[in-house]
Amino acid sequence: MASSAAHGAVAPPRTGRPTGRPTGRRPGRRAPLALLLKCGSVGVFLLAWYAATRSGWISPVFLPSPGDVLAQATALLRSGDLLNAVLVSSGRVFAGFALAGLVAVPLGIVMAVWWPARAIMDPFVSLLRPLPSITWIPLTILWLGIGESQKVAIVFLGSWIYVLFYTLASVRRVDPILIRAARNLGASDFAVMTQVILPASLPGIIAGLKITLAISWSCVLSAEMIAAQTGLGALIWQGKDWGDLATVLVGMVGISITVLVADGLAERLERLLLPWERHRRP
Amino acid sequence: MPPILAAEHVSKTFQVGRDEPLLAVRNLSLQVEEGEFVCLLGASGCGKTTVLNMFAGFTQPTQGRVLLRDRPITGIEPRCGVVFQSYALFHWKTVQGNVEFGLRMQGVARAERRRRAAHFIELVKLGGFERRYPAELSGGMQQRVTLARILAADPEVLLMDEPFAALDAMTRQVMQEELLRIQESSGKTVLFITHSIDEALILADRIVVMSALPGQVKAILPNRLPRPRHVSVQLSAEYARLKAEVWKEVGFEVRPADALPRSPDRR
Ligand SMILES: Nc1ncnc2c1ncn2[C@@H]1O[C@H](COP(=O)(O)OP(=O)(O)OP(=O)(O)O)[C@@H](O)[C@H]1O
Ligand SMILES: [Mg+2]
Repeated sequence: MASSAAHGAVAPPRTGRPTGRPTGRRPGRRAPLALLLKCGSVGVFLLAWYAATRSGWISPVFLPSPGDVLAQATALLRSGDLLNAVLVSSGRVFAGFALAGLVAVPLGIVMAVWWPARAIMDPFVSLLRPLPSITWIPLTILWLGIGESQKVAIVFLGSWIYVLFYTLASVRRVDPILIRAARNLGASDFAVMTQVILPASLPGIIAGLKITLAISWSCVLSAEMIAAQTGLGALIWQGKDWGDLATVLVGMVGISITVLVADGLAERLERLLLPWERHRRP
Repeated sequence: MPPILAAEHVSKTFQVGRDEPLLAVRNLSLQVEEGEFVCLLGASGCGKTTVLNMFAGFTQPTQGRVLLRDRPITGIEPRCGVVFQSYALFHWKTVQGNVEFGLRMQGVARAERRRRAAHFIELVKLGGFERRYPAELSGGMQQRVTLARILAADPEVLLMDEPFAALDAMTRQVMQEELLRIQESSGKTVLFITHSIDEALILADRIVVMSALPGQVKAILPNRLPRPRHVSVQLSAEYARLKAEVWKEVGFEVRPADALPRSPDRR
Protein backbone atom coordinates (compact mmCIF):
# COMPACT_ATOMS: atom_id res chain seq x y z
CA MET A 1 0.00 0.00 0.00
CA ALA A 2 2.74 2.41 1.00
CA SER A 3 4.77 1.50 -2.03
CA SER A 4 1.90 2.05 -4.44
CA ALA A 5 1.13 5.41 -2.85
CA ALA A 6 4.75 6.44 -3.12
CA HIS A 7 4.75 5.26 -6.69
CA GLY A 8 1.82 7.48 -7.52
CA ALA A 9 3.42 10.42 -5.77
CA VAL A 10 6.75 10.30 -7.54
CA ALA A 11 5.44 9.42 -10.98
CA PRO A 12 6.42 12.30 -13.25
CA PRO A 13 3.60 14.11 -15.03
CA ARG A 14 3.12 12.60 -18.45
CA THR A 15 3.21 15.34 -20.96
CA GLY A 16 4.65 13.61 -24.03
CA ARG A 17 3.03 10.91 -26.07
CA PRO A 18 2.14 7.75 -24.17
CA THR A 19 4.98 5.29 -24.14
CA GLY A 20 2.72 2.32 -23.56
CA ARG A 21 4.85 1.09 -20.71
CA PRO A 22 3.04 -0.61 -17.87
CA THR A 23 3.07 1.60 -14.79
CA GLY A 24 3.23 -0.75 -11.89
CA ARG A 25 0.34 -2.73 -13.24
CA ARG A 26 2.00 -6.11 -13.29
CA PRO A 27 3.21 -7.00 -9.83
CA GLY A 28 3.11 -10.64 -10.86
CA ARG A 29 5.96 -10.22 -13.30
CA ARG A 30 7.87 -7.88 -11.08
CA ALA A 31 7.86 -9.96 -7.94
CA PRO A 32 10.79 -12.25 -8.80
CA LEU A 33 12.90 -9.33 -10.00
CA ALA A 34 12.06 -7.36 -6.87
CA LEU A 35 13.09 -10.30 -4.70
CA LEU A 36 16.35 -10.56 -6.57
CA LEU A 37 17.03 -6.86 -6.04
CA LYS A 38 16.24 -7.12 -2.34
CA CYS A 39 18.58 -10.06 -1.85
CA GLY A 40 21.20 -8.30 -3.96
CA SER A 41 21.09 -5.09 -1.95
CA VAL A 42 21.35 -6.95 1.34
CA GLY A 43 24.19 -9.05 -0.05
CA VAL A 44 26.12 -6.00 -1.23
CA PHE A 45 25.59 -4.31 2.12
CA LEU A 46 26.86 -7.31 4.10
CA LEU A 47 29.81 -7.67 1.77
CA ALA A 48 30.76 -4.02 2.16
CA TRP A 49 30.41 -4.34 5.92
CA TYR A 50 32.57 -7.45 5.90
CA ALA A 51 35.19 -5.84 3.69
CA ALA A 52 35.30 -2.67 5.75
CA THR A 53 35.84 -4.49 9.04
CA ARG A 54 38.07 -7.24 7.63
CA SER A 55 40.46 -4.81 5.96
CA GLY A 56 40.84 -2.91 9.20
CA TRP A 57 39.41 0.21 7.58
CA ILE A 58 36.93 0.39 10.44
CA SER A 59 38.21 -0.65 13.84
CA PRO A 60 36.20 -3.36 15.68
CA VAL A 61 35.93 -0.89 18.54
CA PHE A 62 33.52 1.09 16.42
CA LEU A 63 31.93 -1.64 14.36
CA PRO A 64 32.22 -5.40 14.85
CA SER A 65 32.29 -7.62 11.77
CA PRO A 66 29.18 -9.46 10.55
CA GLY A 67 30.81 -12.69 11.68
CA ASP A 68 31.23 -11.41 15.24
CA VAL A 69 27.62 -10.28 15.34
CA LEU A 70 26.44 -13.65 14.05
CA ALA A 71 28.59 -15.47 16.60
CA GLN A 72 27.26 -13.30 19.40
CA ALA A 73 23.71 -13.79 18.22
CA THR A 74 24.19 -17.56 18.25
CA ALA A 75 25.69 -17.43 21.72
CA LEU A 76 22.86 -15.28 23.08
CA LEU A 77 20.28 -17.55 21.45
CA ARG A 78 21.93 -20.64 22.90
CA SER A 79 22.04 -19.21 26.40
CA GLY A 80 18.42 -18.12 26.07
CA ASP A 81 19.31 -14.53 26.97
CA LEU A 82 18.10 -13.10 23.67
CA LEU A 83 14.76 -14.90 23.71
CA ASN A 84 14.29 -13.94 27.32
CA ALA A 85 14.98 -10.27 26.55
CA VAL A 86 12.52 -10.37 23.63
CA LEU A 87 9.84 -11.97 25.77
CA VAL A 88 10.32 -9.62 28.69
CA SER A 89 10.19 -6.52 26.50
CA SER A 90 7.23 -7.84 24.52
CA GLY A 91 5.37 -8.55 27.72
CA ARG A 92 5.90 -4.99 28.96
CA VAL A 93 4.88 -3.53 25.62
CA PHE A 94 1.82 -5.68 25.45
CA ALA A 95 0.69 -4.85 28.98
CA GLY A 96 1.17 -1.10 28.59
CA PHE A 97 -0.28 -1.05 25.10
CA ALA A 98 -3.33 -3.09 26.06
CA LEU A 99 -3.93 -0.82 29.03
CA ALA A 100 -3.64 2.23 26.78
CA GLY A 101 -6.16 0.71 24.37
CA LEU A 102 -8.57 -0.24 27.14
CA VAL A 103 -8.51 3.28 28.58
CA ALA A 104 -8.14 5.46 25.50
CA VAL A 105 -10.47 3.79 23.00
CA PRO A 106 -13.58 4.11 25.20
CA LEU A 107 -12.49 7.55 26.35
CA GLY A 108 -11.97 8.68 22.77
CA ILE A 109 -15.41 7.42 21.77
CA VAL A 110 -17.07 9.18 24.67
CA MET A 111 -15.20 12.39 23.89
CA ALA A 112 -16.21 12.15 20.25
CA VAL A 113 -19.92 11.72 20.85
CA TRP A 114 -20.39 13.82 23.98
CA TRP A 115 -19.00 17.33 23.91
CA PRO A 116 -18.81 17.95 27.69
CA ALA A 117 -16.36 15.06 27.93
CA ARG A 118 -14.35 16.74 25.21
CA ALA A 119 -14.36 20.01 27.09
CA ILE A 120 -13.36 18.39 30.38
CA MET A 121 -10.51 16.39 28.91
CA ASP A 122 -9.22 18.95 26.46
CA PRO A 123 -6.87 20.92 28.78
CA PHE A 124 -5.23 17.77 30.12
CA VAL A 125 -4.86 16.23 26.71
CA SER A 126 -3.31 19.41 25.33
CA LEU A 127 -0.80 19.61 28.17
CA LEU A 128 0.10 15.93 28.25
CA ARG A 129 0.42 15.44 24.52
CA PRO A 130 3.77 17.18 24.00
CA LEU A 131 5.48 15.18 26.77
CA PRO A 132 7.70 12.38 25.46
CA SER A 133 7.48 9.18 27.51
CA ILE A 134 11.00 9.55 28.91
CA THR A 135 9.99 12.67 30.79
CA TRP A 136 7.82 10.39 32.91
CA ILE A 137 10.73 8.23 33.97
CA PRO A 138 11.75 10.19 37.10
CA LEU A 139 8.23 10.36 38.46
CA THR A 140 7.34 6.78 37.69
CA ILE A 141 10.53 5.54 39.33
CA LEU A 142 9.69 7.55 42.40
CA TRP A 143 6.15 6.17 42.50
CA LEU A 144 6.65 2.63 41.30
CA GLY A 145 10.33 1.78 41.75
CA ILE A 146 12.16 0.17 38.86
CA GLY A 147 10.12 -3.00 38.59
CA GLU A 148 7.78 -4.23 35.92
CA SER A 149 4.97 -1.87 36.82
CA GLN A 150 7.18 1.13 36.12
CA LYS A 151 8.01 -0.14 32.61
CA VAL A 152 4.36 -0.83 31.91
CA ALA A 153 3.49 2.63 33.21
CA ILE A 154 6.00 4.25 30.86
CA VAL A 155 4.57 2.37 27.90
CA PHE A 156 1.06 3.32 28.93
CA LEU A 157 1.88 6.98 29.51
CA GLY A 158 3.68 7.24 26.20
CA SER A 159 0.96 5.49 24.20
CA TRP A 160 -2.52 6.26 25.42
CA ILE A 161 -2.71 9.75 24.02
CA TYR A 162 -2.09 8.54 20.47
CA VAL A 163 -4.80 5.94 20.79
CA LEU A 164 -7.08 8.67 22.08
CA PHE A 165 -6.37 10.99 19.18
CA TYR A 166 -6.88 8.37 16.53
CA THR A 167 -10.08 7.13 18.14
CA LEU A 168 -11.46 10.62 18.56
CA ALA A 169 -10.68 11.54 14.96
CA SER A 170 -12.08 8.31 13.52
CA VAL A 171 -15.34 8.51 15.42
CA ARG A 172 -15.85 12.15 14.55
CA ARG A 173 -15.28 11.39 10.89
CA VAL A 174 -18.11 8.85 10.70
CA ASP A 175 -20.40 10.02 7.92
CA PRO A 176 -23.51 11.51 9.57
CA ILE A 177 -25.67 10.22 6.73
CA LEU A 178 -24.98 6.68 7.93
CA ILE A 179 -26.26 7.57 11.38
CA ARG A 180 -29.33 9.14 9.81
CA ALA A 181 -29.90 6.05 7.73
CA ALA A 182 -29.68 3.83 10.79
CA ARG A 183 -32.09 5.98 12.79
CA ASN A 184 -34.42 6.12 9.82
CA LEU A 185 -34.45 2.33 9.94
CA GLY A 186 -35.43 2.45 13.59
CA ALA A 187 -32.07 2.13 15.36
CA SER A 188 -31.88 3.10 19.04
CA ASP A 189 -28.97 5.10 20.48
CA PHE A 190 -27.34 1.87 21.55
CA ALA A 191 -27.77 0.30 18.12
CA VAL A 192 -26.39 3.41 16.45
CA MET A 193 -23.32 3.08 18.65
CA THR A 194 -22.72 -0.65 18.22
CA GLN A 195 -23.98 -1.11 14.67
CA VAL A 196 -22.82 2.10 13.04
CA ILE A 197 -20.37 4.29 14.93
CA LEU A 198 -18.11 1.49 16.14
CA PRO A 199 -17.80 -0.45 12.90
CA ALA A 200 -17.56 2.70 10.80
CA SER A 201 -14.69 4.04 12.90
CA LEU A 202 -12.98 0.71 13.48
CA PRO A 203 -10.57 0.95 10.51
CA GLY A 204 -9.31 4.32 11.78
CA ILE A 205 -9.03 3.07 15.35
CA ILE A 206 -7.07 0.03 14.24
CA ALA A 207 -4.76 2.16 12.09
CA GLY A 208 -4.11 4.29 15.17
CA LEU A 209 -3.42 1.22 17.31
CA LYS A 210 -0.91 -0.05 14.76
CA ILE A 211 0.99 3.23 14.79
CA THR A 212 0.81 3.34 18.58
CA LEU A 213 2.25 -0.15 18.82
CA ALA A 214 5.50 1.10 17.27
CA ILE A 215 5.48 4.04 19.68
CA SER A 216 4.97 1.65 22.61
CA TRP A 217 8.10 -0.18 21.56
CA SER A 218 10.20 2.94 21.60
CA CYS A 219 8.80 3.74 25.06
CA VAL A 220 9.78 0.40 26.53
CA LEU A 221 13.27 0.58 25.07
CA SER A 222 13.99 3.99 26.50
CA ALA A 223 12.68 2.86 29.88
CA GLU A 224 14.82 -0.27 29.78
CA MET A 225 17.94 1.64 28.85
CA ILE A 226 17.60 3.94 31.80
CA ALA A 227 16.61 1.57 34.57
CA ALA A 228 16.30 -2.14 33.97
CA GLN A 229 18.21 -5.40 34.32
CA THR A 230 16.20 -7.27 31.70
CA GLY A 231 14.71 -6.70 28.28
CA LEU A 232 16.12 -5.74 24.89
CA GLY A 233 16.86 -2.17 25.96
CA ALA A 234 18.85 -3.40 28.95
CA LEU A 235 20.69 -5.91 26.79
CA ILE A 236 21.81 -3.14 24.46
CA TRP A 237 22.77 -0.83 27.28
CA GLN A 238 24.79 -3.52 29.06
CA GLY A 239 26.54 -4.33 25.78
CA LYS A 240 27.50 -0.68 25.51
CA ASP A 241 28.75 -0.55 29.11
CA TRP A 242 31.00 -3.57 28.54
CA GLY A 243 32.23 -2.30 25.18
CA ASP A 244 30.55 -5.31 23.59
CA LEU A 245 29.24 -3.81 20.37
CA ALA A 246 28.27 -7.17 18.92
CA THR A 247 25.66 -7.51 21.64
CA VAL A 248 24.43 -3.98 20.93
CA LEU A 249 23.93 -4.88 17.28
CA VAL A 250 22.28 -8.19 18.11
CA GLY A 251 19.89 -6.30 20.38
CA MET A 252 19.09 -3.81 17.64
CA VAL A 253 18.41 -6.52 15.09
CA GLY A 254 16.36 -8.30 17.74
CA ILE A 255 14.18 -5.21 18.15
CA SER A 256 13.66 -4.87 14.40
CA ILE A 257 12.63 -8.47 14.00
CA THR A 258 10.37 -8.47 17.04
CA VAL A 259 8.57 -5.32 15.89
CA LEU A 260 8.23 -6.75 12.38
CA VAL A 261 6.68 -9.91 13.78
CA ALA A 262 4.33 -7.85 15.95
CA ASP A 263 3.32 -5.80 12.90
CA GLY A 264 2.65 -8.99 10.97
CA LEU A 265 0.40 -10.25 13.75
CA ALA A 266 -1.41 -6.92 13.89
CA GLU A 267 -1.93 -7.10 10.14
CA ARG A 268 -3.47 -10.56 10.49
CA LEU A 269 -5.76 -9.38 13.23
CA GLU A 270 -6.80 -6.41 11.13
CA ARG A 271 -7.81 -8.65 8.23
CA LEU A 272 -9.87 -10.70 10.61
CA LEU A 273 -11.61 -7.68 12.12
CA LEU A 274 -12.21 -5.75 8.90
CA PRO A 275 -13.51 -8.25 6.35
CA TRP A 276 -15.29 -5.48 4.44
CA GLU A 277 -11.97 -3.90 3.51
CA ARG A 278 -10.89 -7.01 1.66
CA HIS A 279 -11.41 -5.39 -1.74
CA ARG A 280 -8.59 -2.96 -0.96
CA ARG A 281 -6.09 -5.69 -0.33
CA PRO A 282 -4.08 -7.45 -2.98
CA MET B 1 -59.23 12.32 6.75
CA PRO B 2 -56.15 14.55 7.03
CA PRO B 3 -53.33 14.07 4.52
CA ILE B 4 -50.66 11.65 5.71
CA LEU B 5 -47.87 14.10 4.83
CA ALA B 6 -48.15 17.84 4.73
CA ALA B 7 -45.80 20.78 4.34
CA GLU B 8 -47.26 24.13 5.37
CA HIS B 9 -45.55 27.26 4.06
CA VAL B 10 -42.16 25.69 4.49
CA SER B 11 -38.96 27.64 3.90
CA LYS B 12 -35.43 26.42 4.43
CA THR B 13 -32.33 28.57 4.59
CA PHE B 14 -28.80 27.20 4.73
CA GLN B 15 -25.99 29.10 6.34
CA VAL B 16 -22.55 27.84 5.42
CA GLY B 17 -19.69 29.60 7.16
CA ARG B 18 -19.77 33.29 6.37
CA ASP B 19 -21.39 32.92 2.99
CA GLU B 20 -24.62 34.66 2.21
CA PRO B 21 -27.47 32.57 3.62
CA LEU B 22 -28.89 30.38 0.86
CA LEU B 23 -32.65 30.14 0.51
CA ALA B 24 -33.10 26.59 -0.76
CA VAL B 25 -36.88 26.22 -0.37
CA ARG B 26 -39.38 29.08 -0.30
CA ASN B 27 -42.91 28.96 1.01
CA LEU B 28 -43.62 25.44 -0.13
CA SER B 29 -46.95 23.84 0.69
CA LEU B 30 -47.79 20.30 -0.27
CA GLN B 31 -50.19 17.60 0.84
CA VAL B 32 -49.87 13.90 0.19
CA GLU B 33 -52.91 11.70 0.75
CA GLU B 34 -52.66 8.24 2.23
CA GLY B 35 -51.88 5.67 -0.47
CA GLU B 36 -50.95 8.32 -2.97
CA PHE B 37 -47.92 8.22 -5.25
CA VAL B 38 -46.51 11.72 -5.64
CA CYS B 39 -43.54 12.58 -7.80
CA LEU B 40 -41.46 15.64 -7.09
CA LEU B 41 -40.02 16.80 -10.38
CA GLY B 42 -37.39 19.48 -10.65
CA ALA B 43 -34.00 20.50 -11.94
CA SER B 44 -30.78 19.63 -10.18
CA GLY B 45 -30.17 21.80 -7.13
CA CYS B 46 -33.73 23.08 -6.90
CA GLY B 47 -34.28 21.80 -3.36
CA LYS B 48 -35.91 18.39 -3.82
CA THR B 49 -33.62 16.55 -1.43
CA THR B 50 -34.01 19.36 1.07
CA VAL B 51 -37.79 18.90 1.06
CA LEU B 52 -37.43 15.16 1.47
CA ASN B 53 -34.95 15.62 4.34
CA MET B 54 -37.53 17.68 6.18
CA PHE B 55 -40.20 15.00 5.75
CA ALA B 56 -37.73 12.42 7.07
CA GLY B 57 -36.96 14.64 10.06
CA PHE B 58 -33.28 14.95 9.17
CA THR B 59 -33.54 18.74 9.08
CA GLN B 60 -36.13 21.16 10.37
CA PRO B 61 -37.69 23.90 8.28
CA THR B 62 -36.52 27.43 8.98
CA GLN B 63 -40.13 28.56 8.64
CA GLY B 64 -43.42 26.70 8.46
CA ARG B 65 -44.09 23.11 9.52
CA VAL B 66 -43.99 19.60 8.16
CA LEU B 67 -46.60 17.17 9.46
CA LEU B 68 -47.05 13.43 9.53
CA ARG B 69 -50.69 12.54 10.19
CA ASP B 70 -51.24 16.03 11.54
CA ARG B 71 -48.34 15.84 13.98
CA PRO B 72 -45.23 17.98 13.48
CA ILE B 73 -42.15 16.02 12.49
CA THR B 74 -39.47 17.05 14.96
CA GLY B 75 -37.00 14.18 14.91
CA ILE B 76 -35.89 11.40 12.62
CA GLU B 77 -39.02 9.54 11.67
CA PRO B 78 -38.76 5.77 11.08
CA ARG B 79 -42.31 5.70 9.72
CA CYS B 80 -40.99 7.59 6.68
CA GLY B 81 -38.40 5.25 5.19
CA VAL B 82 -35.81 6.95 3.01
CA VAL B 83 -34.00 5.75 -0.10
CA PHE B 84 -30.96 8.01 -0.13
CA GLN B 85 -29.70 9.62 -3.28
CA SER B 86 -26.17 8.73 -2.16
CA TYR B 87 -27.21 5.21 -1.04
CA ALA B 88 -25.86 5.49 2.53
CA LEU B 89 -25.19 1.76 2.69
CA PHE B 90 -23.48 0.32 5.74
CA HIS B 91 -20.23 -0.61 4.02
CA TRP B 92 -19.17 -2.91 6.87
CA LYS B 93 -22.23 -5.06 6.42
CA THR B 94 -22.93 -7.50 3.64
CA VAL B 95 -25.87 -7.08 1.28
CA GLN B 96 -27.77 -9.43 3.56
CA GLY B 97 -26.78 -7.45 6.66
CA ASN B 98 -27.88 -4.20 5.06
CA VAL B 99 -31.24 -5.51 3.92
CA GLU B 100 -31.90 -7.13 7.29
CA PHE B 101 -30.98 -4.03 9.26
CA GLY B 102 -34.42 -2.48 9.63
CA LEU B 103 -35.97 -5.81 10.57
CA ARG B 104 -33.27 -6.36 13.13
CA MET B 105 -33.98 -2.97 14.67
CA GLN B 106 -37.64 -3.94 14.84
CA GLY B 107 -36.68 -7.07 16.76
CA VAL B 108 -37.75 -9.54 14.08
CA ALA B 109 -36.39 -13.02 14.77
CA ARG B 110 -33.42 -14.21 12.78
CA ALA B 111 -35.11 -16.86 10.64
CA GLU B 112 -37.92 -14.53 9.70
CA ARG B 113 -35.38 -11.81 8.91
CA ARG B 114 -33.52 -14.15 6.61
CA ARG B 115 -36.70 -15.09 4.83
CA ARG B 116 -37.89 -11.54 4.25
CA ALA B 117 -34.44 -10.26 3.29
CA ALA B 118 -34.08 -13.07 0.78
CA HIS B 119 -37.42 -12.09 -0.76
CA PHE B 120 -36.41 -8.47 -1.31
CA ILE B 121 -32.88 -9.32 -2.44
CA GLU B 122 -34.47 -11.52 -5.06
CA LEU B 123 -36.91 -8.76 -5.95
CA VAL B 124 -34.10 -6.33 -6.78
CA LYS B 125 -32.34 -9.07 -8.75
CA LEU B 126 -29.39 -9.45 -6.42
CA GLY B 127 -29.76 -13.14 -5.66
CA GLY B 128 -26.31 -14.67 -5.24
CA PHE B 129 -24.77 -11.44 -3.94
CA GLU B 130 -26.04 -11.76 -0.36
CA ARG B 131 -22.59 -12.15 1.13
CA ARG B 132 -20.87 -9.42 -0.85
CA TYR B 133 -19.95 -6.11 0.70
CA PRO B 134 -21.25 -2.87 -0.91
CA ALA B 135 -17.76 -1.89 -2.10
CA GLU B 136 -17.74 -5.06 -4.17
CA LEU B 137 -20.88 -4.11 -6.09
CA SER B 138 -21.46 -1.76 -9.01
CA GLY B 139 -23.16 1.59 -8.42
CA GLY B 140 -26.49 0.38 -9.79
CA MET B 141 -26.31 -2.75 -7.66
CA GLN B 142 -25.66 -0.65 -4.57
CA GLN B 143 -28.67 1.47 -5.41
CA ARG B 144 -30.81 -1.65 -5.59
CA VAL B 145 -29.52 -2.73 -2.16
CA THR B 146 -30.78 0.54 -0.65
CA LEU B 147 -34.11 -0.14 -2.28
CA ALA B 148 -34.30 -3.64 -0.84
CA ARG B 149 -33.20 -2.34 2.55
CA ILE B 150 -36.07 0.10 2.80
CA LEU B 151 -38.69 -2.23 1.30
CA ALA B 152 -37.73 -4.92 3.81
CA ALA B 153 -38.12 -2.48 6.68
CA ASP B 154 -41.65 -1.82 5.43
CA PRO B 155 -42.27 1.76 6.61
CA GLU B 156 -45.65 3.46 6.22
CA VAL B 157 -44.34 6.09 3.83
CA LEU B 158 -41.59 5.70 1.26
CA LEU B 159 -39.45 8.77 0.62
CA MET B 160 -37.40 7.95 -2.44
CA ASP B 161 -34.66 10.25 -3.69
CA GLU B 162 -33.94 9.42 -7.33
CA PRO B 163 -33.77 5.73 -6.46
CA PHE B 164 -33.32 4.55 -10.04
CA ALA B 165 -30.92 7.22 -11.25
CA ALA B 166 -27.89 4.94 -11.50
CA LEU B 167 -29.66 2.10 -13.29
CA ASP B 168 -29.52 1.28 -16.98
CA ALA B 169 -32.74 1.82 -18.92
CA MET B 170 -33.80 -1.82 -18.83
CA THR B 171 -33.11 -2.46 -15.17
CA ARG B 172 -34.81 0.79 -14.34
CA GLN B 173 -37.92 -0.31 -16.18
CA VAL B 174 -37.98 -3.59 -14.26
CA MET B 175 -37.57 -1.72 -10.98
CA GLN B 176 -40.32 0.73 -11.88
CA GLU B 177 -42.67 -2.17 -12.56
CA GLU B 178 -41.80 -3.75 -9.23
CA LEU B 179 -42.36 -0.50 -7.40
CA LEU B 180 -45.71 0.00 -9.10
CA ARG B 181 -46.75 -3.53 -8.19
CA ILE B 182 -45.66 -3.11 -4.56
CA GLN B 183 -47.29 0.27 -4.20
CA GLU B 184 -50.55 -0.76 -5.81
CA SER B 185 -50.86 -3.96 -3.78
CA SER B 186 -49.77 -2.48 -0.43
CA GLY B 187 -51.38 0.94 -0.83
CA LYS B 188 -48.25 2.60 0.52
CA THR B 189 -47.77 6.32 0.30
CA VAL B 190 -44.79 7.26 -1.84
CA LEU B 191 -43.03 10.57 -2.28
CA PHE B 192 -40.67 10.02 -5.16
CA ILE B 193 -38.03 12.46 -6.37
CA THR B 194 -37.00 12.37 -9.98
CA HIS B 195 -35.76 14.62 -12.72
CA SER B 196 -37.23 12.38 -15.40
CA ILE B 197 -40.62 13.35 -16.81
CA ASP B 198 -41.14 9.85 -18.14
CA GLU B 199 -40.49 8.32 -14.75
CA ALA B 200 -42.93 10.74 -13.12
CA LEU B 201 -45.60 9.95 -15.70
CA ILE B 202 -45.18 6.20 -15.36
CA LEU B 203 -45.30 6.18 -11.57
CA ALA B 204 -47.20 9.12 -10.14
CA ASP B 205 -50.78 9.91 -9.22
CA ARG B 206 -49.75 13.53 -9.01
CA ILE B 207 -46.70 15.34 -10.31
CA VAL B 208 -45.38 18.27 -8.31
CA VAL B 209 -43.20 20.46 -10.50
CA MET B 210 -40.66 22.51 -8.59
CA SER B 211 -39.13 25.71 -9.89
CA ALA B 212 -35.40 26.34 -9.76
CA LEU B 213 -33.74 27.74 -6.65
CA PRO B 214 -35.30 28.70 -4.31
CA GLY B 215 -37.48 25.63 -4.58
CA GLN B 216 -41.17 26.41 -4.86
CA VAL B 217 -44.15 24.50 -6.12
CA LYS B 218 -44.58 25.66 -9.68
CA ALA B 219 -47.45 23.39 -10.66
CA ILE B 220 -49.27 20.29 -9.46
CA LEU B 221 -50.48 18.07 -12.27
CA PRO B 222 -52.78 15.10 -11.69
CA ASN B 223 -51.78 12.05 -13.71
CA ARG B 224 -54.95 10.37 -14.97
CA LEU B 225 -53.29 7.41 -16.62
CA PRO B 226 -55.19 4.28 -15.59
CA ARG B 227 -54.19 1.95 -12.75
CA PRO B 228 -53.01 -0.72 -12.28
CA ARG B 229 -50.29 0.75 -14.40
CA HIS B 230 -47.54 -0.79 -16.40
CA VAL B 231 -44.49 0.73 -18.03
CA SER B 232 -46.08 0.04 -21.42
CA VAL B 233 -48.38 2.97 -20.64
CA GLN B 234 -45.72 5.06 -22.37
CA LEU B 235 -47.05 3.90 -25.71
CA SER B 236 -50.53 5.36 -25.22
CA ALA B 237 -51.76 8.57 -26.84
CA GLU B 238 -52.91 9.90 -23.47
CA TYR B 239 -49.33 9.54 -22.23
CA ALA B 240 -47.99 11.66 -25.06
CA ARG B 241 -50.59 14.31 -24.40
CA LEU B 242 -49.77 14.41 -20.69
CA LYS B 243 -46.08 14.54 -21.38
CA ALA B 244 -46.58 17.64 -23.51
CA GLU B 245 -48.55 19.17 -20.68
CA VAL B 246 -45.78 18.51 -18.16
CA TRP B 247 -43.21 19.83 -20.57
CA LYS B 248 -45.04 23.09 -20.77
CA GLU B 249 -44.71 23.49 -17.01
CA VAL B 250 -41.19 22.22 -16.72
CA GLY B 251 -40.05 24.08 -19.80
CA PHE B 252 -36.82 25.80 -19.04
CA GLU B 253 -36.71 24.52 -15.46
CA VAL B 254 -35.55 21.05 -16.44
CA ARG B 255 -33.28 20.18 -19.29
CA PRO B 256 -34.02 16.87 -20.99
CA ALA B 257 -31.62 14.99 -18.76
CA ASP B 258 -33.97 12.03 -18.72
CA ALA B 259 -31.73 9.14 -19.58
CA LEU B 260 -28.52 10.38 -18.03
CA PRO B 261 -27.40 8.00 -15.32
CA ARG B 262 -26.02 10.02 -12.44
CA SER B 263 -23.60 9.16 -9.77
CA PRO B 264 -24.49 10.02 -6.19
CA ASP B 265 -23.70 13.65 -5.53
CA ARG B 266 -23.35 15.59 -2.32
CA ARG B 267 -24.46 13.53 0.62
N1 LIG C 1 -26.58 20.85 4.17
C1 LIG C 1 -26.55 21.88 3.31
N2 LIG C 1 -25.82 22.96 3.58
C2 LIG C 1 -25.77 24.00 2.73
N3 LIG C 1 -26.44 24.06 1.58
C3 LIG C 1 -27.20 23.01 1.24
C4 LIG C 1 -27.30 21.87 2.08
N4 LIG C 1 -28.12 20.98 1.50
C5 LIG C 1 -28.51 21.55 0.35
N5 LIG C 1 -27.98 22.77 0.19
C6 LIG C 1 -28.22 23.68 -0.94
O1 LIG C 1 -29.60 23.70 -1.18
C7 LIG C 1 -29.88 23.70 -2.57
C8 LIG C 1 -30.81 22.56 -2.90
O2 LIG C 1 -30.14 21.34 -2.68
P1 LIG C 1 -30.86 19.93 -2.83
O3 LIG C 1 -29.90 18.89 -2.44
O4 LIG C 1 -32.15 19.95 -2.11
O5 LIG C 1 -31.13 19.88 -4.41
P2 LIG C 1 -31.82 18.73 -5.27
O6 LIG C 1 -33.05 19.32 -5.88
O7 LIG C 1 -31.99 17.51 -4.49
O8 LIG C 1 -30.76 18.52 -6.44
P3 LIG C 1 -30.32 17.17 -7.19
O9 LIG C 1 -31.37 16.86 -8.19
O10 LIG C 1 -29.05 17.58 -7.85
O11 LIG C 1 -30.16 16.13 -6.16
C9 LIG C 1 -28.52 23.61 -3.26
O12 LIG C 1 -28.20 24.88 -3.74
C10 LIG C 1 -27.57 23.19 -2.19
O13 LIG C 1 -26.32 23.80 -2.40
MG1 LIG D 1 -31.08 15.69 -4.50
